[in-house]
Amino acid sequence: MSKYSVNQTVLREEKYLVEALKEMGYEVEVHPAGGQLNSYYSEQEAKAANIIIRRDQLRGAYGDVGFVRQPEGQFAIVKDELDEYRGYGAKWVGRVQQSYKEKQTLAMAKAKGYTLKGREVVETSEGQQVRLQFVARR
Amino acid sequence: MQEKTITVTIDQLGNSTLDLEGFAGHGCEKVSDDFRGGDLVKAERKKPAYYTGQQVQQEKSQR
Repeated sequence: MSKYSVNQTVLREEKYLVEALKEMGYEVEVHPAGGQLNSYYSEQEAKAANIIIRRDQLRGAYGDVGFVRQPEGQFAIVKDELDEYRGYGAKWVGRVQQSYKEKQTLAMAKAKGYTLKGREVVETSEGQQVRLQFVARR
Repeated sequence: MQEKTITVTIDQLGNSTLDLEGFAGHGCEKVSDDFRGGDLVKAERKKPAYYTGQQVQQEKSQR
């Protein structure tokens, strides 16, 4: 073995983020110039996002959930603070990141000539892990 | 010749681990960059083969 690293997934590529959200069963709106998010209280400050899931698809949520493109290129999540405790907190974001990372990795590997050797889903005490193994040709 | 394998493990907390086997030196860095894909590095460890490979490359280039 030659190297081992632990990385935090950063959501950067719209295509894979949209695909990940769709795979989770959501209909996704894409607004390149930004679309308005609806919140539970009408007097709350209006927020905009580039990728939006409407609350009618988010069971138990008070407001829409959106992803906003940051000046540095990554997406940041925008949501009603109350939804942090309604099933759309860090755990939910982690599942989005997991699906995103798998899609992004598979696409990159294919484009750069790595061969997928295997995919397995491993059950752990902290939830499912997806394990992808590739072989480098050179 | 040892097979060069890359194992990516992605958890539900937004983390992934990248384990490279059979790589050395600059080749290792290139593959690492490919699979990191702009993610934030939380921890990194180079293994003995990484350095062994570098020594072999240096010896070759001196000849």
